[in-house]
Parts: sequence; structure tokens; C-alpha cells
Amino acid sequence: MRRRAVLLASAASAAAILGGWQLGEVATDGLTATGTPTVTNASAGSADDGTGGSSGSGSGSVDFNALTPKGTTSGTGGTDAGGTGAVATTVDGTFEGPTVSTRFGEVQVQVTIAGGAISDVTALQLTDHDGRSVQISNRAEPVLRSEVLQAQSASVSLVSGATYTSAAYLQSLQSALDAAGFPG
Amino acid sequence: MPPTMKLPPGAFAAMGTVVSVRPGTSAVGDRDASASPPLDDQGALGLVADIFARWERRFSRYEAGSELSRVARGELALPEASAELRAVYARALAWRARTDGCFTPHRADGVIDLDGIVKALAVEDAGDALDAAGRTGWALDAGGDILIAEGSTVRVGVADPHDRSRLLAGFDLDGARRRALATSGSAERGDHIWTTAGLEHTPFVQVSVAAADLVTADVLATAIVAGGYAALDELAERFDVDVLVVGHGRELRATPGWPRAGEARAD
Repeated sequence: MRRRAVLLASAASAAAILGGWQLGEVATDGLTATGTPTVTNASAGSADDGTGGSSGSGSGSVDFNALTPKGTTSGTGGTDAGGTGAVATTVDGTFEGPTVSTRFGEVQVQVTIAGGAISDVTALQLTDHDGRSVQISNRAEPVLRSEVLQAQSASVSLVSGATYTSAAYLQSLQSALDAAGFPG
Repeated sequence: MPPTMKLPPGAFAAMGTVVSVRPGTSAVGDRDASASPPLDDQGALGLVADIFARWERRFSRYEAGSELSRVARGELALPEASAELRAVYARALAWRARTDGCFTPHRADGVIDLDGIVKALAVEDAGDALDAAGRTGWALDAGGDILIAEGSTVRVGVADPHDRSRLLAGFDLDGARRRALATSGSAERGDHIWTTAGLEHTPFVQVSVAAADLVTADVLATAIVAGGYAALDELAERFDVDVLVVGHGRELRATPGWPRAGEARAD
């Protein structure tokens, strides 16, 4: 079935994205490549579809047997199949992938599938060799002013801003801090 | 600056801006008794001022007689310039490569311009001199480029580019992995940073970068202003830095390491 091929291709995408996270070829090689979705269709996918999905996966794919549905998972296949005893053809939702050991540490991904396609892949867990959780992306995301303007801002001793001209300095917070801050 | 300008006791004018000095304390016990007597606070301020004056004599774009001005006018060929100037130029070129050209030691017309790195180098030089003089716990702020002594912790702020009397954010420098905080932008001196090809105007009013050293922080802040969102993503990923950017609509973006309200602080 087309849905199944999409799922397999999605799994391949997940693996490719994993590789993109500086995990390298070793990481993708280390992933299990069973490629069998837990959600299957009564009229099973053709060999062509399966092959297509696999060939697209390159060096590996996520083990969908190990995916754990969470939260808003919803089946959509029952009505499509017209009550002929079929189970769901596809499931949209958010899935937690298996924890995969790589030479860079333990990685677990969360895959969000919408309309049979992966819409998002998020790293849930990446730990270093001491077991501490580490960030694998340093991307700047939108924040609210109230999030960065915090109580700790009250007691600063120096201020960073785009370079003051000497004249602007005199009106600046830094000037007031300097007047108060030099012990000599 | 006008001769009548009265600066607070811990500050002096240099490089077209003002340098603020927190002299720290003298670590007398750690010093060789035969060395010169420990610097007092005024001595520490004088030491920093002397180092800035030396950097300014060589690298000022505003003083017609500076070595850099002579090179920029073509009176002095680069191979004939001092080893110090050539070393700074080489460092700037290395940073141009590391930032994929977002940081550059040349103006748009090709003339050499080392302003983007000289201030940070002067601050680091002054910090080294304070260390050598036995001062600990010092902190320096040259027009928004902040560096603190190794092993000390200092709470610093980032100015709001739309109201310079207000703070936008706070950051706890840790004296190790985050010893420096630099901010670049267009709030004070107009759009003085040339944007890279394809970007007519920078999308950012202000970019602040915290790093282990001030040259990295300062260069990357400048490069992100010039390179926009692509440079922000790429450089934040490639270097060990925390970044806070302010867009033209006052919207903010921060990397995961930039401190957020409500987080338990290590200190």
C-alpha cells in the first residue's frame, strides 16, 4: 500500500535526519532496519511498495516496531476500508522512537506523522558518556522578552550593547553603574 | 570627545567609545616578593588605559597618523607594516574564513578595516596585563564588549537597543566557558556593519554573543548581524556560544543556552 511505503520512506527520512545531526554514517549504520510498521493494512502492501521504501532508506531506517504511540494518536483507516474487516491503514500521531546507541551517545527521537508523512522529528534524549543529557542543536528560537528579562538582571555590574559613542555613554546605564562601581 | 566631558572614575575614553574598568583586587599572596609592588586600583586603571592608548596609536581609523590609517591610504604597503599589524590582519582573515565571509576585515570598497577585531584584542591584551600584574576578579567593558577575569563570576546585562537606559536581558558570566559577552548592531552608530552579498539590510537590530573569549564573541556577533538568519543558525551550531538576537520588530531569538527566567541558576 501507498501508506506503508510512505511510512517506510518516513522512517528513512528519520534516519537521514539522524545522520544529519552530526551523528555520521556510523550512527545510521547502527540503526535497526526492519522497516515493519506496527500499524498494518488488511490488504498488505505490495512488494513493490516495500522495496521502494527500503531502497529509499539508504543505510538504515528507524525500527518502527519500537515506536511508542503517545498522546493524540488517531486511526483513520477503518472507515476508508468500508467495514470489510480491515484495521487502520495509517495512524497519525506522535511516536517515540527507540533509544539508539551511537558512538556519540544515546539518542532517542520523537517522530510526528501527519497524513501519512513525517511532519516533525525531535530529539528526545541525547546523553553523553557520563549519562548527562546534552543539547544537540544550538538553534536560536523565538523567546518572549519576559523570558530573558529576569530577576537576575537587577544586579548587573556591566552592560553589553552595540558600541556606545562617547556622548551616548553619558546617558547610558553603564555610566551610572561606573559612577557607583569603581572603588578608587 | 568634548574636553569638558566628565567621566566616572572607573572609565576612560578610547577608540571612539568608553572603557569601563572594574579593577578587581590584588592577589598579593600569590606574587613573587621580589616583583614590583602590587598595583592599586588607580594603577590598574592606568595600566588598562595605557594598553588601549597603544592599540589606538597603531590601529585607529580616526587618527590620520596611525599605522592602519597609513596602510588604508596606501602610503604603507602591508608587507612593510609592523609584525603586530600583520598578525592582527591575519587573525581577521582567519575569522573571515571561519565565518564564511560574514566577518571581513575590509570595507565594501576594499579598504582594510580592523575595527571589528581590534577592540576585542585590546580588551584581551589589557586583561592579560592585569593578570600579569597580579590582579584578580577584574572585569572590563569596552563599549559593550565585556571580558572578566578567569575564575570570577560577574552578572552582566544586555542593553535594550530601543531604549539604552533599560536592560533587555541578563547573563551570568562564569569566568571559564563564558568569560566574554559582546554585542553588535545598528542601534548606536547606524548600519555600520556591511551585510554579506544577497542581504541588503540585516534582519537584526542587535546581536549578543557569549563565549569563552572576547574575540570569538565579538567577531561572531558582527558576523551574525552581517549574515542574518543563515549565519545565526550556522555559527551558533558551529561554535560554543550562547546568542540573543533582536529583530527589527523587537522580536527576540535565543539559543537554548541563553538563560531564561525561572531557571535555577548554578550560583
